[in-house]
Amino acid sequence: MPYWYYDKKDLQNTPSFRDGISTDTENRYRKEGARFIIDTGSKMDLGYNTVATGVVYFHRFYMFHSFRTFPRYITACCCLFLAGKVEETPKKCKDIIKVAKSLLTEQKFASFGEDPKEEVMTLERILLQTIKFDLQVEHPYGYLLKYAKCLKGDKPKLQKMVQMAWTFVNDSLCTTLCLQWEPEVIAVALMFLAGKLSKFEVLDWNGRIPKHTAWWDMFVEDITMELLEDICHQVLDLYSPQPQSSGGDSPTGPPPAKVPKNDKKPLSVTPPTSASPVAAAAAKAVVTPNKNGAELKFEPPKLEPLRYTYPAYPGLAPPYAGPYAAPPPGLAPRLAPPPLLYAEPRFPPVNVPPPNYFPPLPGRGPPPPGPPPRPYYPPT
Amino acid sequence: MSGASTSQSPPPMASISDVSALFQNAKKYEELNVIGTGAYGTVYKARDLHNGGQIVAMKKVKVALTEDGIPLSTLREIALLRQLEAYRHPNIVRLLDVCHGGQSLERDQQLVLFLVFEHVDQDLESFLKRAPGPLSQNIIRSMSFDILSGIDFLHSHRIVHRDLKPHNLLVTSTGRVKLADFGLAKTYDTDMKLTSVVVTLWYRPPEVLLGAAYNTAVDVWSAGCVLAQLQARAPLLPGASDSDQLHCIFRLIGRPPRQEWPENVSIMLDSFPDYQAQDLGKIIPRTHPHALDLIKGMLVFDPAKRLTALDCLQHPYFTEEPLT
Ligand SMILES: Nc1ncnc2c1ncn2[C@@H]1O[C@H](COP(=O)(O)OP(=O)(O)OP(=O)(O)O)[C@@H](O)[C@H]1O
Repeated sequence: MPYWYYDKKDLQNTPSFRDGISTDTENRYRKEGARFIIDTGSKMDLGYNTVATGVVYFHRFYMFHSFRTFPRYITACCCLFLAGKVEETPKKCKDIIKVAKSLLTEQKFASFGEDPKEEVMTLERILLQTIKFDLQVEHPYGYLLKYAKCLKGDKPKLQKMVQMAWTFVNDSLCTTLCLQWEPEVIAVALMFLAGKLSKFEVLDWNGRIPKHTAWWDMFVEDITMELLEDICHQVLDLYSPQPQSSGGDSPTGPPPAKVPKNDKKPLSVTPPTSASPVAAAAAKAVVTPNKNGAELKFEPPKLEPLRYTYPAYPGLAPPYAGPYAAPPPGLAPRLAPPPLLYAEPRFPPVNVPPPNYFPPLPGRGPPPPGPPPRPYYPPT
Repeated sequence: MSGASTSQSPPPMASISDVSALFQNAKKYEELNVIGTGAYGTVYKARDLHNGGQIVAMKKVKVALTEDGIPLSTLREIALLRQLEAYRHPNIVRLLDVCHGGQSLERDQQLVLFLVFEHVDQDLESFLKRAPGPLSQNIIRSMSFDILSGIDFLHSHRIVHRDLKPHNLLVTSTGRVKLADFGLAKTYDTDMKLTSVVVTLWYRPPEVLLGAAYNTAVDVWSAGCVLAQLQARAPLLPGASDSDQLHCIFRLIGRPPRQEWPENVSIMLDSFPDYQAQDLGKIIPRTHPHALDLIKGMLVFDPAKRLTALDCLQHPYFTEEPLT
């Protein structure tokens, strides 16, 4: 079975990199592609799940293909098109292309070729083969809501923290985090970040037991502070000045100039009580998310303002409805989701795929609280 | 330098259609021989060339492409099958890979899908044919439990198998039973059904034969027929046609009372003689009373009164003595 998580070394040595595209440039292409999926999706009123699924397809696709072979915007369109069908929010291919055209410069749209729809159709089959028909993707959103429900404290503050974490999850789509960590881990890390930035300290939570040192111990085992900070940094880096157009617009452009690496501000390793340097740095970024373009003189400002409003945060009240909330036609409607035969698997130590999990037969564990457990695949 | 790059003409793009040639499955799997042809596709025995020549079962399904590419229902069904796989349920045949054959011809509006499964040596049909004598009560009980566990798993994921029969139940070398051939009902529905293939009716529940609405209870009926067949080693309700199948059913369980007859079906209750229920114990002799009681509970006319798969698993037939 396919396994979709990569370590940093794999993320460097991508098909694009081997094809002569620098890592910085590739990351910019990924970001632009993801942003484009988000923009196209939001313009077409597609929900956050569909958009996020499209973006995950996009990132996975370029673990197997070079940006030189497959231009990013048409791939992005195709990913959104496929995600629309899988998430049961289908959009007509020609409508997606229409919106794409309206969002792109003529030059960028030229990469769609003579017959854009035919190209997208062909690409759909390549995409399916590349992502190995592994179509169902889970996102951090549902976990954010699930975790938030267990946290205790001042309601408005909690609400604000979740709202901010939600925004970080949106923005994290522009990074390769979905290729590195399971959605549960990303949800924990970005909630942690939001907690720091909104100065909301989680001191108590439902289901707390003595061996818990932090609320996330309840959901994910063995999360280190180092890991959390690494994830937070990857998202925060989106808000710091970036060499936006150093790589050229197309992969066949001249090689990118060397750009100085941004200095990474260390995250405080102390518990989230003091105002850490990160909080200060990020808080600034949140207030002025896009001061960067103007400072880079010879480069057209490309960075779109990060959207803090999209996709809408549904609030805490409605529980996250998984894609299978509605029974398919032909099935007798059930009031509650049908009980699962197997208890939700415990989350394994991070990044270690679990062994085949099966509780002894017969017998049935209690129905898990949330949507069906996420799939785990061992590395092939 | 960004200025320089933007002034360049668009990059020459590798034609996408050329690249699709990279994805021919011929390179990944070597077809060995046909295992069987169902109404909806052919199953091949094949060698997985990327995995040390492991033998697999490859189901080839043709999907008609729509104006907007691969139909949503097919994508949904594959997504769900893939997702189920994460549970590695012991009574569900492993789905190892899904791929497609590209488009064979330009403008050919169909796509050949390959669902690659673990290869299981035999199905229950041939297992029963080959078994030298009656099966031991222990084997029957454990096979019955396997079948019902698989069904309950599917139902808990809102999948109705719809076509359970000994042909679709695979028997591993250690005697475990695994369900195969499910989850593509909508893909099948819209697609190229081979009308020449005779579909067996023996495991069909009355509501399907009557053309009434149906739900997960259909699988419990079919499983009831299979469980009885495990005991007797002969099909319980071998009808010769749709209507004969209904007669077979009512001869066994009796003609249902009028208030249970589904609404809006074209077949009238009065077109059947007033059959009285027979004693199942006489039809499948030497069957444990618990087993008889379970099977009776599964072969109930009214789907709402039929046992659910979970009910079945909790039946004394399985709980009174530990399973081996
Ligand atoms: N994983 C497998 N390993 C070995 N044999 C298999 C496997 N899956 C299916 N088969 C066998 O292949 C044959 C055809 O199977 P398939 O499920 O396509 O058709 P069917 O059940 O006869 O018909 P239908 O598609 O109409 O239900 C059957 O004999 C079945 O037992």
